[in-house]
Amino acid sequence: MSSLESNVDALLPELLAAFGPSGRESGVRRALRKALRGLGTLTEDSTGNLRLHRPGRGPRLLLATPMDAAGVIVTRVDASGLGRVTMLGGRAPVELVGTTVVFEDGRKALLGYDRGPGSKNGADLEADQLFLETGLGKKGEREFPVGSVGAIEDRPERLGDYWCGANLEGRAGCAAVVAALRAARTSRYDLHVVFAAQSDVGARGATTGAFGIDPELAIVVDVAHLEGKETPGVVVGQGPCLGLKESGYVAHPQALALLKKAAAAARVKTQWLIREHEGTDARAIRAVRVGVPTGLVAIPARRSGGAFSLAHARDITQTAALVAKLLAAAPAKGGSR
Amino acid sequence: MIAPAFDDVLLGRLSEASGVSGGEGAVRRILIDEVRDHVDSLEIDALGSLVARIAPASRTNGSRRRGPHVLLCAHMDEVGLMVTAIEKEGRLRVRRVGGIDQRILVGQVFRIGVNGLRGVLGALPPHLVPRADREKVIAIEDMYLDIGASSRDEAERHVAVGDYACFDTTYEQWGSTRKGKAFDDRVGCTVLASLVKRRPPVPVTAVWSVQEEVGLRGAGAAARRANADLAIVLEGTASGEAPGASAGESAPVMGGGPALTVQDRTLMADARLVDLLERTGKERKIPTQWKRPGVGGTDAGRISLSGAGIPAAVVSVACRYIHAPAAYLDVRDPQRVTALVWHTLESLRKEWT
Repeated sequence: MSSLESNVDALLPELLAAFGPSGRESGVRRALRKALRGLGTLTEDSTGNLRLHRPGRGPRLLLATPMDAAGVIVTRVDASGLGRVTMLGGRAPVELVGTTVVFEDGRKALLGYDRGPGSKNGADLEADQLFLETGLGKKGEREFPVGSVGAIEDRPERLGDYWCGANLEGRAGCAAVVAALRAARTSRYDLHVVFAAQSDVGARGATTGAFGIDPELAIVVDVAHLEGKETPGVVVGQGPCLGLKESGYVAHPQALALLKKAAAAARVKTQWLIREHEGTDARAIRAVRVGVPTGLVAIPARRSGGAFSLAHARDITQTAALVAKLLAAAPAKGGSR
Repeated sequence: MIAPAFDDVLLGRLSEASGVSGGEGAVRRILIDEVRDHVDSLEIDALGSLVARIAPASRTNGSRRRGPHVLLCAHMDEVGLMVTAIEKEGRLRVRRVGGIDQRILVGQVFRIGVNGLRGVLGALPPHLVPRADREKVIAIEDMYLDIGASSRDEAERHVAVGDYACFDTTYEQWGSTRKGKAFDDRVGCTVLASLVKRRPPVPVTAVWSVQEEVGLRGAGAAARRANADLAIVLEGTASGEAPGASAGESAPVMGGGPALTVQDRTLMADARLVDLLERTGKERKIPTQWKRPGVGGTDAGRISLSGAGIPAAVVSVACRYIHAPAAYLDVRDPQRVTALVWHTLESLRKEWT
């Protein structure tokens, strides 16, 4: 077992289980701080990003990966202890039916929906048809005030070669980046890593984080959920995806060349990600200030239709290997702008 | 220090002024006259937002501490119409500027252009509408502004394509209720003027922003230049109480005190700042309520993402019938918002790091 693999296997369950819905990423920040000890200088910014700096003589490189997860916000709780919620982040309400919602202080509630006669079928279920069962009767309103932010409780599973988890979208990239930072102790770059907050509500942490760092080059590590028509030919388990085009983004040639070189050096087979409608933090970062040459490496994943999604362990490890090689390799010559 | 009083008369003047997004000049002129003698600098930025700066004396309250630089923001613009074509019969075709519910439009009186010419928004009379269509909402494309002109030449002597039209509404009061148009966000503009005129206890950049209703445009640019440590946005928001809304759905309610935002479509409010606002309300015995999460969007969303990001929160007055000809508010609410924000600024001076 490689050290990258054992690192990812050790990190991922804890990161998946950490509390961190968009805008309330306290738990995952804490877990990452622990995992990043000794790897660089850590700071936080006002959007909630966790930033790591490892000074170097080379160009200023931003390595960014999202860390938030989908959640819900309580809009009201009635006298019977049943609450209503609105969605925080881009999940379809139907995916959350039957999940346990955990709040920052550890309190829990369940999400269900009224499946009475004449109710809509699941696919177009709206958030206000979900209800939050607090089990507290008329005490519910006091215990879960309007505005309480809950996260989907994750019970990560390793099934054969696959990792399954509700929060995989935000956390698989974090595990790969931490493992890469541990493997590449020195870097040829002036390296800034942003574990981005509020990604799932519109790349907000990436926007402010990149502005603060003003990078000369950026690499985004994220998860790409595969959908038949959107991503034909891409397969989970066949290696990390290099992003060529997605909504609001096309790969910068310089960044793409570095990623290809790093993949070859790490002996990692890659796939191409070309999609129309979905996007990552790459689209926000490439447009910050006067523009940033930005590359994207994405871990392919499948949705379950319910709360969890699924990724191949080797794809995550190989993403880490690719990023580690990129950090260790000599930066491209000449100014990036 | 005792908080400043809310200026009811100013709210009336601002409410009756026309200021559809992009045409905020009349509102801006009132505000300039109101605050110019009380601020350290006053300018109009490139997009049209009015920006004032106030730096407290270095030893206010016997303390050397300056406190954080706070951006306070309220938007000057309101939803309305724009004239898009003048037809040969003298009728004006219009488009909406900002989000207006088509159901409330037909038959309304509007004030058009800088001279405030009156016009009625007309449509095919009911007896000529096919029976099957009579229960349907009339689309704005099927309405026209009627200024009483009978030809294009006559109409063009009074109006031009590009003219704005706003609701024609008189500001009135009965008891603590106030009626007027554009309380979203002239009530915020008024609160901000009241705060500024008393010279807040921390360094403040006050922004009366433009073009909020068409995409939060003015506030982002102003926030970038202000480069403040944190931001509080003052808003007029929709209340929920009405027959047909269940008890739990009606929050926030008119008269229920300052409405605080946890989250909306554009913003995750800064948890520390929201906590300070809530705590200050409790300490000062100012009742607060929660705005319904997940709906609406404000300048705070744009401000929070400006530059490398700044913590932001929203304090709102819950108004009935916003984005419509006549809104209601309870004047005790903006009084409480003024007091809550003032006392929060005092706390910020002491404890924000």
